[in-house]
Amino acid sequence: MPPTSLRFTSLRRRFGRLAVLQGVSGAVGEGGALLVTGPNGSGKSTLLRCLAGLLAPDAGTVELTEEGRLLDAAGRRRSVGYVAPDLAFYEELTAGENLAFFGRLRGAPPERGRELLGRLGLPAERLAGALSSGMRQRLRWVWALLHRPRLLLLDEPFQNLDAEGESAARDLLAAHRAGGGLAVVASPSPLELDGDAPRLALG
Amino acid sequence: MTPPASRSADWLAEAAAVFAKEWRCELRTRYALNTLGLFAFTTLVMVSAGLGPLGAARAVGTPVLPVLLWLILLFAAAAGLPRVFVQEEETHTAIALRLAATPSALFCGKLAYGATLMLALEALVAPLFLAMLQLDVAAPGLFAATLLAGGCGLAIASTLIAAMIAQARGRSTLFAVLAFPVTLPLLLLVVELTRNAVAGEPAGGALVQLLLYDATVAVASLMLFPVVWNP
Repeated sequence: MPPTSLRFTSLRRRFGRLAVLQGVSGAVGEGGALLVTGPNGSGKSTLLRCLAGLLAPDAGTVELTEEGRLLDAAGRRRSVGYVAPDLAFYEELTAGENLAFFGRLRGAPPERGRELLGRLGLPAERLAGALSSGMRQRLRWVWALLHRPRLLLLDEPFQNLDAEGESAARDLLAAHRAGGGLAVVASPSPLELDGDAPRLALG
Repeated sequence: MTPPASRSADWLAEAAAVFAKEWRCELRTRYALNTLGLFAFTTLVMVSAGLGPLGAARAVGTPVLPVLLWLILLFAAAAGLPRVFVQEEETHTAIALRLAATPSALFCGKLAYGATLMLALEALVAPLFLAMLQLDVAAPGLFAATLLAGGCGLAIASTLIAAMIAQARGRSTLFAVLAFPVTLPLLLLVVELTRNAVAGEPAGGALVQLLLYDATVAVASLMLFPVVWNP
């Protein structure tokens, strides 16, 4: 696996008069994870969206390096795996059809989607609009891992998952990190991650 | 480093995937088909009743009817095509698309969907329009070329404007405000060309201008889209 690292420095982001991020910095190295904690409205999701390239920070830098190459915002968007509550899929398509579509966009082979669906116990033939909130969260996990990303950005990743789903998701996260992948996990709860992941407290 | 041929194949595969996804979703919901079809059919019946064989005299109708044909097509397009990006924002699927798709491939896939939808609408409306209004077309080749190039032009302009308004508030107003200057040259050209086709007069430079309009708006759209689509 090629070396990957993430470093963000002095990120600032305002929404009108509201300053959500005020000089936030952090870094994650090979196989590492960063747990971002803080109360609701402290800017956890905003930070992850800035890291993913979905939101441009007002100031500060995000440096994601893969295979020795520094990716720009467009490169980051194509590269990262992203799980977040506001991530939605086409309700008129089945889970399998959604994954097949995004797999074609991301150059992932169809068997990768089927493998992940199996590991998370998600029915491929069910319409995305008919999935329960827990099943939708499983679909977000499958979607995020479809293209074997080096960086996972996880915003409340275990939300709505039952014990079995959470266990499967934690296994996938552990396998990702064991393979040298990075993860940034945002959660209001300080007990989301096992182990000794460094913490970044916001708010 | 990925070779250029492979990158082109990947790009085409992405655009084709977006196009196929759009039609698959559309055939399941039939939102745009119903909206465009119902609007076009309703206005067609109204125009036919008011200006058809029992309405306006033929001498009055010939210069007026091409305008009405393109008004029907314009407003039908305006009723359905902006959904291609607005719906992505409203249903939050835009996040997944931003992360997964190459912007130019996404735009071209959406454009291909909008253009085929528009051409299907024209294939339905134009023969009905001619039949219901008993309008004879002296130059059917020019008429078909005008419908093809005009429909594509409307689809290109609508797709770009749809992308621009998708993240804004007051989308309907904004669409009308932006669509007016962008589509006005197109409408003037297609009306002139349709009149020429009906009267059997040569197209002159108007068809070339229409094709140039399509190409210009398409190139401008491809350049603008990544800026409009991404933060």
